[in-house]
Amino acid sequence: MRAANEIDFWRGFALTSIFINHIPGFYFERFTHRNFGQSDSAELFVFLAGWALRLVVDSRNAPLRGTALVLRLSTRALTIYAAQILITMLALAIIAGASMAFDDSLLLQWNNAQDAFLDPVPTHIGIILLTHQLGAFNILPLYVVLMLGAPVIAVLHRRKPSAVLVLSLALYVAALVFQINFRTWPEDGYWYFNPLTWQLVFVLGFVLARDDGPGVFVRRYFRPLRAIGFALVVVGVVLAAIDFEPDPTRMPDPKLFFVFDKTFATPARVLHFLALAIAFGGSFALVLRVAAPLARFLSMLGRNSLNVFCAGSLLSLCASVARYALGDSIVVDLSVLICGVACLGATAWLSEWRERFAMR
Amino acid sequence: MVVGMARTIRNALSCARCVFWRSIVILFFDMSLAAATSAVRADDPPPSPPALSAYCQVPASDIATPEPLPHLAAALENQKTIKVLAIGSSSTVGVGASAASNGYPAQLEMILEKIFKGVAIDVVNRGVSGEVAATTAERLKVEVALEQPDLVLWQLGTNDALARVPVEDFVETVKDTLQWLKDHQVDTVLVGLQFTPRAAKDEHYTAIRNALRELAVSENVLLVRRFEAMQFIERATQTNLLSGDDLHLNDLGYRCMAEHIARAVIVSTFLLKRPH
Repeated sequence: MRAANEIDFWRGFALTSIFINHIPGFYFERFTHRNFGQSDSAELFVFLAGWALRLVVDSRNAPLRGTALVLRLSTRALTIYAAQILITMLALAIIAGASMAFDDSLLLQWNNAQDAFLDPVPTHIGIILLTHQLGAFNILPLYVVLMLGAPVIAVLHRRKPSAVLVLSLALYVAALVFQINFRTWPEDGYWYFNPLTWQLVFVLGFVLARDDGPGVFVRRYFRPLRAIGFALVVVGVVLAAIDFEPDPTRMPDPKLFFVFDKTFATPARVLHFLALAIAFGGSFALVLRVAAPLARFLSMLGRNSLNVFCAGSLLSLCASVARYALGDSIVVDLSVLICGVACLGATAWLSEWRERFAMR
Repeated sequence: MVVGMARTIRNALSCARCVFWRSIVILFFDMSLAAATSAVRADDPPPSPPALSAYCQVPASDIATPEPLPHLAAALENQKTIKVLAIGSSSTVGVGASAASNGYPAQLEMILEKIFKGVAIDVVNRGVSGEVAATTAERLKVEVALEQPDLVLWQLGTNDALARVPVEDFVETVKDTLQWLKDHQVDTVLVGLQFTPRAAKDEHYTAIRNALRELAVSENVLLVRRFEAMQFIERATQTNLLSGDDLHLNDLGYRCMAEHIARAVIVSTFLLKRPH
């Protein structure tokens, strides 16, 4: 088990706020950072996934080569895929169970679930193909696609490192200009997280994780860049406070370059996220000094991110059920918050206990 | 797998030069076909609203209070194609219908095309089921910018009620979004909450339903009162409008929903012209 560190800490932070953000109408949602700027914890989560990928690819201890590397990354994609199928099935059961327990058929509509109950034949195929995604359960399908692309990124990075970011940007721009996204099926729609644009956030994490290429630039000019980052964060807070958003109808074509849109991870969101990253990146040492238990707790969540993410997704859904049953009140919401965060902690602790147990 | 092709082609066609050529073409066809396929002309008598099917009979007062739809009316006079953006939660998607063509957007398209002869109605379906109004509101502006609809049908409320979204938050979200749509001269029709006997007894559900009704009145926005209409049909005919496990509208239910919306839209569109 590694010691508390910055990456795990921020990952734990992202996991906690994803749990909170996925409960509609939840009182504490107003305190998560998406209300104070243009990006949210999804960018942080995907960026850190890219960062972690780089640490695996360029591992300082025993760098994996060729087939071993490709296999390692592909099996990671398989693990994430299995997790997605598991939590989707559990979520369907929670929704069905709530609907039966409270004898309320309208609950079956939650989180885009009702297709699975009413049109099960194609929908089950869609779930397996990741083309049918439950609402709030759509980050892992993106992550699976990104990890399937990871061997390509890794191989390209070994052969021609400078090409990684350039190709990623080219794909991003093309997807924005031509409004290209993955389709959903059997429902006729589009993916909530467009992998063709979100890959840029992932690749940015990948290229900035080490001090070469763009990573050198950021580290060399850290102070001025951080000043710019802070300024942008302040601008973001002000814009969010006055509820400013560029009017998409008045933007020139290609409109997606100028609007705030989560599905396409539009440039304003990516820029805001990068500003946040450089403004607050490196502050872990301070957090560890002034709030050590918090730093250690979030790091523990982050170390076990896939398990904690899965637990968090299901806990958000359970929280919605609890709010449905008990009503909207601060007492309910506070209890939900405390129980939820405790369960996230318990998930992480159990995961580590199991690992320690296995090593004996 | 990946297609925004239709949009791309449309964007390509809307370049300035294409607009010029297209207008030449349209002008030519207009001259030769004007008699046969005219758009709805200002001096035409307003079309009567379509008759409701036997199963969908509901007193007009239970469906909606008409509110003018001036921009849609103008578009009907000047355009050959009317674009309708259907956005919101579950019943927009058409789950529980035996085929996509039996969902409410497809049926609405057919009914409106029959009434507005010579005008093509294009209903673009952007429903995401289970969504609360705040989430729809987040993507609505971009959808409006990309699709440029003449009319927005926004189905809302059911999921906010079940997720116990505070009534005031719900009202604020809807109010702000309606204001934005008004500022952008897009006529909007709100499609209200679903009906189940259980929901009729749920306090928060009723509160959201009443809040939406009050908001529609104060903002002068057309609200199709689905809950009341479905409640009436179910009581009057003992017809099961909800499929299988009474979750969703079956084909007949979609038919009624489409008919009710079409009726409300048609009456409202010609509100200013119809002699009172």
